[in-house]
Amino acid sequence: MTDALLQVDDLRVTFAVGGREVRAVDGITFTVSPGATLAIIGESGSGKTVSCRAIMGLLPTGTAIGGSARLRGTELLGLSDAELRRHRGSDLAMVFQDPARSLNPTMRVGLQITEAITTHRTASKREAQAQAIELLRLVRIPAAERRFHEYPHQLSGGMRQRVMIAMALACRPKLLIADEATTALDVTTQAQIMELLLELQEELDMALIMISHDLGLAASYADEVIVMYAGKIVEQAPAAGLFGAGGAVRMRYTRALLDAIPHLERPAHTLLPVVGGRPPDPTALPPGCSFAPRCQYAEDDCRAKVPALAEHVPGHRWACWHPCENGAAPHD
Amino acid sequence: MTDQAGPGRPPGEVLLSVRDLVQEFIVRERGGGKAGVVQAVSGVSFDVMAGETLGIVGETGSGKSTLARAILQAPRPKSGSVVFRGTELTNLRGGRLLQARRHLQFVFQDPFGSLDPKWKVRSIVDEPLLAYRAGGREARRKRVSELLDLVGLDPARYAGRHPRELSGGQAQRVAIARAVALEPSLIICDEAVSSLDVLIQAQVLNLFEKLRGELGLSYLFIAHDLALVKQVSDRVAVMYLGKLCEVGHGEAVYRRPLHPYTKALLDSIPSTEPGAGRATATIKGEPPSPINPPSGCRFRTRCPLATDLCAAEEPLPRELAPGHVVACHFPLMPGTSVITPAATSGVRQA
Amino acid sequence: MAAPLPDVTLLGALPPLPSLVNARRLRAQRLGRGLRLWVPAGILILMLAMCFVLPLVASLPSPTKGDIIVNNEPPFSPGHWLGTDMQGVDIFSKLVYGGQVAFEIGAAVTAIGVAIGGTLGIVAGYFGGWVDAVISRVLDILIAFPALVLALVIAQGLGGSEIHVIWALSVFGIPAVGRVTRGATLTIRGLPFMVAAKLSGTRGWRIIARHVVPNIIPTIVTFSLLGVGIVIILEGALDFLGYGIPPPTASWGNMISNGQQILSAQPEYVLIPSIALLVTVASLNMLGDALRERWSTQ
Ligand SMILES: Nc1ncnc2c1ncn2[C@@H]1O[C@H](COP(=O)(O)OP(=O)(O)OP(=O)(O)O)[C@@H](O)[C@H]1O
Ligand SMILES: Nc1ncnc2c1ncn2[C@@H]1O[C@H](COP(=O)(O)OP(=O)(O)O)[C@@H](O)[C@H]1O
Ligand code: SF4
Ligand code: SF4
Ligand SMILES: [Mg+2]
Ligand SMILES: [Mg+2]
Repeated sequence: MTDALLQVDDLRVTFAVGGREVRAVDGITFTVSPGATLAIIGESGSGKTVSCRAIMGLLPTGTAIGGSARLRGTELLGLSDAELRRHRGSDLAMVFQDPARSLNPTMRVGLQITEAITTHRTASKREAQAQAIELLRLVRIPAAERRFHEYPHQLSGGMRQRVMIAMALACRPKLLIADEATTALDVTTQAQIMELLLELQEELDMALIMISHDLGLAASYADEVIVMYAGKIVEQAPAAGLFGAGGAVRMRYTRALLDAIPHLERPAHTLLPVVGGRPPDPTALPPGCSFAPRCQYAEDDCRAKVPALAEHVPGHRWACWHPCENGAAPHD
Repeated sequence: MTDQAGPGRPPGEVLLSVRDLVQEFIVRERGGGKAGVVQAVSGVSFDVMAGETLGIVGETGSGKSTLARAILQAPRPKSGSVVFRGTELTNLRGGRLLQARRHLQFVFQDPFGSLDPKWKVRSIVDEPLLAYRAGGREARRKRVSELLDLVGLDPARYAGRHPRELSGGQAQRVAIARAVALEPSLIICDEAVSSLDVLIQAQVLNLFEKLRGELGLSYLFIAHDLALVKQVSDRVAVMYLGKLCEVGHGEAVYRRPLHPYTKALLDSIPSTEPGAGRATATIKGEPPSPINPPSGCRFRTRCPLATDLCAAEEPLPRELAPGHVVACHFPLMPGTSVITPAATSGVRQA
Repeated sequence: MAAPLPDVTLLGALPPLPSLVNARRLRAQRLGRGLRLWVPAGILILMLAMCFVLPLVASLPSPTKGDIIVNNEPPFSPGHWLGTDMQGVDIFSKLVYGGQVAFEIGAAVTAIGVAIGGTLGIVAGYFGGWVDAVISRVLDILIAFPALVLALVIAQGLGGSEIHVIWALSVFGIPAVGRVTRGATLTIRGLPFMVAAKLSGTRGWRIIARHVVPNIIPTIVTFSLLGVGIVIILEGALDFLGYGIPPPTASWGNMISNGQQILSAQPEYVLIPSIALLVTVASLNMLGDALRERWSTQ
């Protein structure tokens, strides 16, 4: 516990939409160790982005946030804007999904990076510029001096995402949160960006939280995986323990996710094992397990009581009343 | 690709035959001056057989959507031929084009974008029926209900809704109901499930399979996700910068890719398979601009096997194995590797 | 916040989260949005009722003929609660009948603009090519015409009257609406659902009637509201210059124009019609903005 970089405890986020409560994040707990890579996966709307925005202090004012998120022991929730800005500069940084919209289209990229540097630290203009070019090199952008003077629209999607990463790295954060940072990119570009992130992680000794809905990406790049559904963590395990040889998914929802992705190994035209329905309305969550309305293994206890997220096997937590057998093959 | 008649060609009649299709866009500078010509599709040829699904994969900007639109004549291609059920579409206009296109339908990527936000579900599904005068009001109303049932939407609940009252998966089902309304023989799906979540995506993919069986449909299935395309396709074509690199039986293309680009794509996929390890970025740099595509082979600026020949001469498609056509001077025969030392260095092993 | 934490295994069993949402703030927000729409709408309804319903139910003094004996009465005089002008004409009556003129001209010019300009704009935007080139040039020429100068010429040649003012101002209204609808149509035309409609077999005019028009109506309505306001101001300017509605017919413009001669002695002659003009135009603008906000968040 003491050596954790980030310790999130019972984080809750509630929005008010049309007079009703949306429980976007409903009590999640996890830790990130220095230098580790944590993947948070789940369908859209499961609360991945909101969790991370809460930690970053980037939720709209008036949002109800509960619980605690401590970075090296310092509570982040409830900090003033000024204090948060200091943390965001030096310890925490975030890269967003849409590289096209996160950059200002009317500003040269170099200037945007320079600004990112000077808002967190006093540096002369020349110093900041030199450092910006250095950052562009760090994220392996060729001809950095030329790119420095270009506008975002002159860059490809992959390049823009590299610029976003450069800005996030401006102050050498200890924790980088990448929210679907490669979702909008091609497989080849995605592989390039993920490699870059991993290399930078080693160079800078930085922890990484990667949010994704791509299980393959999580399996390939993360040390530990968290699966979210309807604002809760439903399973958490080391990536190898979840996907790797001998590893086993226990929670029914994770199993369903894993079964539903097309695999190269499957023959063409085979039907995918499907789960009907869709995620519950966050303003009206079912009383028991949130997955119960869609789960083919649901029984009465699932609908009555919320299964607790417990560490049933060392390092492996899940929340399910009737989990899959250990090492069970995918259901038909 | 040139004609693929041969032993590997699937049985059945040719439903759609595309030859030397070219589509270009003129891009203008701010002032209105001509900045260049985007060669979005440059001489693409392939066939789709009756009852078959042909998948097309390629990175963003490779011209997949442009190809789909050119086949649908919206907009009309610059040159080349598109023969659908024996009728040449490229020189038809007005009502004749409409009749010829009746059995050629489409499903686009953005489920909400392709439904008029002001229309109700029942009118959306009815639109092609009305346009082609498929029956009177009462008959059409019954047909709309049947169609919604077919795609798994309860007509009583959903017929009266507007698109914004649907989820992404439901909206895509409505688009599919509209596409199958006129009992088409071919549906062009351009990234039709790409914007959906995994579980919903699986539902819609299964729906496509079900309709294929029940209605004897063929698909031209375009996507950038290789595993997805393999899942649904009999044959797969790989597209790069406006040209096809490789066409062949899905199993063959994925198990033994012959084109360096296909290999690089496959090596980039992250996999959940135990022991698959980390995808290695086997491909460097970015695709060149389609305004000034490289001479010779368009992949040569990123290809680890490129030689002077690749710059000088465009590789022509050759049938290297039955039904497996590749456009490369140095196709990957067994034992060849495209993983260069530069590409693997610095990569942590999972 | 950093209170001791329950064991993780208990997390699921925690009592339900109390409502932490700031309900007051939420209510204030919704109230603000409602007010932004209903205040200007209410003012406009009142103005319209005053101008068009009041003369029918109450017997107002004549807005054109007055009794010279009671001229220059100050406001709140018996029988003339806004007073009378130099000819002894009741100012409230003038305001009411002048308002009729303002609203009629505003509505007529906008209606002509929407009917002709809207059609041209949709046709240009939808069909593109040479059709667009021709229509756009015509609209450009019209918009380049100085509307006021043209109105002066028309008034000189044909004599000032309501119908002439309407035609003169339409020269400005048609291209303005035309350009806005053309822009809106161009945006819609590129959207996937338009391609989908075409590929579903729906053709030309049906696409316009069933897909284009319903989708650009919000744009046209909000623009028309702003347009009515602008036309009312232009009409006032014409009257002010003496080339619009000729006296003795009452209009806000000629009230201001006449009032300026004795501005220092009796500023209310200018003030009263000016306030009416200001409130009307501001309400129209605010209503347009509120509607746009509402439609864009839907
Ligand atoms: N209307 C247009 N005007 C100019 N260029 C265009 C136009 N439409 C497409 N292009 C260009 O043509 C090329 C092919 O585009 P296309 O949309 O077909 O790619 P795609 O393979 O479908 O990509 P994605 O996977 O992103 O959908 C791109 O370089 C694109 O920028
Ligand atoms: N600003 C907001 N106001 C109201 N609800 C929100 C807001 N942001 C997110 N939500 C809701 O919170 C839930 C979780 O969203 P999010 O964290 O973005 O999901 P994802 O897992 O896809 O990142 C969703 O139901 C979403 O609709
Ligand atoms: S708790 Fe019950 S309903 Fe929930 S996933 Fe497990 S088996 Fe299914
Ligand atoms: S033709 Fe040459 S450059 Fe092109 S793919 Fe083959 S080897 Fe590479
Ligand atoms: Mg998200
Ligand atoms: Mg596309």
